Amino acid sequence: MLRMRNITKIYRTSLIETHALSRFQFEVEPGEFVSVMGPSGSGKTTFLNIAGLLDTFDEGHYELGGEDVSQLSDVEMSRVRNEKIGFIFQSFNLLPDLDVFDNVDIPLRYRGMPRKERKEAIQSALETVGLSARLRHYPSQLSGGQQQRVAVARALVGKPGLILADEPTGNLDSAMAREIINLLEQINDTGTTIVMVTHDQEMAHRAGRQIFLLDGRVIDIRDEEAKPLFDPDRFMPSMPTPSLA
Amino acid sequence: MLLYNLRLSWKSLLRNPSLALLTVAAIGLGIAVATSFTAIYYLMTADPLPHKSDNIYYVRLDSWNPERPFNDEFPERPPAQVTYLDATAVVKSDIPTHTAASFHSDLFVYPEDKTQHPFEVSVRLCHSGFFPIFELPFAYGGPWDRRADEGPDRVVVIDDATNQRLFGGSDSVGQRIKLGPEYFTISGVLEPWRPVTKYYDVLNASSGSPEQAYIPFLHVRDMEIATDGNTQGWKSGDGEGFAAFLSSESTWVQLWAQIETADQKARYQTFLDAYTEQQRTLDRFQRPTNNWIQPMREWHVEEGAVPPEARSMMVISLLFLAVCSINLIGLLLGKFLARAPEVGVRRALGASRRAIFLQHIVECQLLGMLGGVVGIVLSVGALGGISTMFLDDVTLHLDATMIAIGIALALISGLVAGIYPAWRVCAVAPAIHLKTQ
Ligand SMILES: Nc1ncnc2c1ncn2[C@@H]1O[C@H](COP(=O)(O)OP(=O)(O)OP(=O)(O)O)[C@@H](O)[C@H]1O
Ligand SMILES: [Mg+2]
Repeated sequence: MLRMRNITKIYRTSLIETHALSRFQFEVEPGEFVSVMGPSGSGKTTFLNIAGLLDTFDEGHYELGGEDVSQLSDVEMSRVRNEKIGFIFQSFNLLPDLDVFDNVDIPLRYRGMPRKERKEAIQSALETVGLSARLRHYPSQLSGGQQQRVAVARALVGKPGLILADEPTGNLDSAMAREIINLLEQINDTGTTIVMVTHDQEMAHRAGRQIFLLDGRVIDIRDEEAKPLFDPDRFMPSMPTPSLA
Repeated sequence: MLLYNLRLSWKSLLRNPSLALLTVAAIGLGIAVATSFTAIYYLMTADPLPHKSDNIYYVRLDSWNPERPFNDEFPERPPAQVTYLDATAVVKSDIPTHTAASFHSDLFVYPEDKTQHPFEVSVRLCHSGFFPIFELPFAYGGPWDRRADEGPDRVVVIDDATNQRLFGGSDSVGQRIKLGPEYFTISGVLEPWRPVTKYYDVLNASSGSPEQAYIPFLHVRDMEIATDGNTQGWKSGDGEGFAAFLSSESTWVQLWAQIETADQKARYQTFLDAYTEQQRTLDRFQRPTNNWIQPMREWHVEEGAVPPEARSMMVISLLFLAVCSINLIGLLLGKFLARAPEVGVRRALGASRRAIFLQHIVECQLLGMLGGVVGIVLSVGALGGISTMFLDDVTLHLDATMIAIGIALALISGLVAGIYPAWRVCAVAPAIHLKTQ
């Protein structure tokens, strides 16, 4: 589904270079549910952005669904994002001016889908997340959990093969978080691949596989030497070491 | 997608109505000014007789001083008008479909009703061909008979205002009025008529009103009516007084001909050249033969019949519109960049840069269109004011072309104002803005 080889991402500011990802290796098989953990600043969001074609990288090789996506044009990348990927963000990122229906509609609009099909797809996505009665509500009229469910509906309405979620439960209390994770499991059961960044051990363990990031690299949890680093009790926020540019 | 973008744009306007109003007002004002002055310019340069202006010719004969040309800057040009001698001789030709000599003067009207004071009217002396050539609109009667061009009956065509004043607007054909010392019988009354330019006489106050009375050209002699217009000469005539003036080389008469075919034109040219050749033997026309049958529109252009202010006002008004839309760039840039997080979400969900760009251009164009509508409404009002103030009561109006130009200007200003902000907002990296929401 997703295969990254030696991906390096360097953020350059006038003063320093930050190696957000360095020689990053990662693979996800179709239908997997993978959780990504790691201390703050370890490169989780950077990885998701690159995986979702929202950001470029400096070196390495990235294949999505068997296709090399590093050389695509903006229009082609946008089409891949639109058709193959669904995004869920920590802060929901619903558009406040649009009601629930129109928010879920966004990806379909960029696909140029006919009106009738869009309507059916939106209905069914909202049914999946249990919000089909709230079509004409605006985000401000919904609870946080409901907003995130709308975001989930928006991510899955286009039937993407891959859903990328960046701390989807980070802004929710544990009951609502559980609802969301149940939803994600349910979606994964239908064959959709999910990669989810989370800080929450419990959420992470719901995924079929967990990986750990440290200083922009994947640490194999089965590697006994590395394991102590991820002992929750000894969890130390560690920052990648910036080197002077 | 266009409808979707329009809907998004509309929502965006509603989100900040005061900003939208400001933008629409700025574009509207600019459009109002630009459309008004473009309309004026367009009306002034418009062909006054589009269906036949190609058939109307201005006749020029080079009777000028053999020592030097009429126009030092353009030595190839014959004098702008013809002499009385030549006008009266050439106008006799029956080669053109219609032909007429004409000039402008002023005479007093002495009303029969002694309670009314005498009043001065502007008068055009011309041949009967003048009316069909320039298609003056008649309410009652018509031009005088061709025979009246030779006298002895005194006939007159009066305009609507004079007819209102003397006869309360009734059909006064056959009535007599006293013009100067003589009585004239009315052969026709014009409809209210106010061409934007006096296209039959662009040498004398071409943006002024037409004359109020028209009498046969021959009265120049028996009534000794001097021209009130432009006169240029280089040699005085024989004899004394008015007769000397009429026989001089002063050019002050305008000679027109309506010619339909190339053959007719060629024959007329031959006639003119033969005439001036014959005049040479009388010690006139000592310059190389240079007789022009000049199309009316070319003559208008040569004479700059469009007041130069009309052009500068149009340029200034377009600059004003440009300033209005350039001022909006900053406003829109702020508005659009504030929306970067939303753009980030749309990009993540599959909007290409092009789609984002289009969305914002559509928004600018919606603003432009609204501004255009406001501007066109304003400019309809403004044109009324402008015409009374500067144009001596020409009725200016916006026709379909002008409305189309107004809308085109509105779309262009929307584009000018929006293209940079739209380009900036579609260039933002989506990833950065997703985090900050
Ligand atoms: N736009 C940027 N410019 C410069 N440096 C950046 C930028 N974005 C991220 N970084 C740096 O790259 C590193 C990785 O950041 P990233 O956001 O991927 O971390 P993260 O694992 O998602 O952290 P968190 O758990 O706090 O969200 C950090 O050191 C961060 O400071
Ligand atoms: Mg992060």
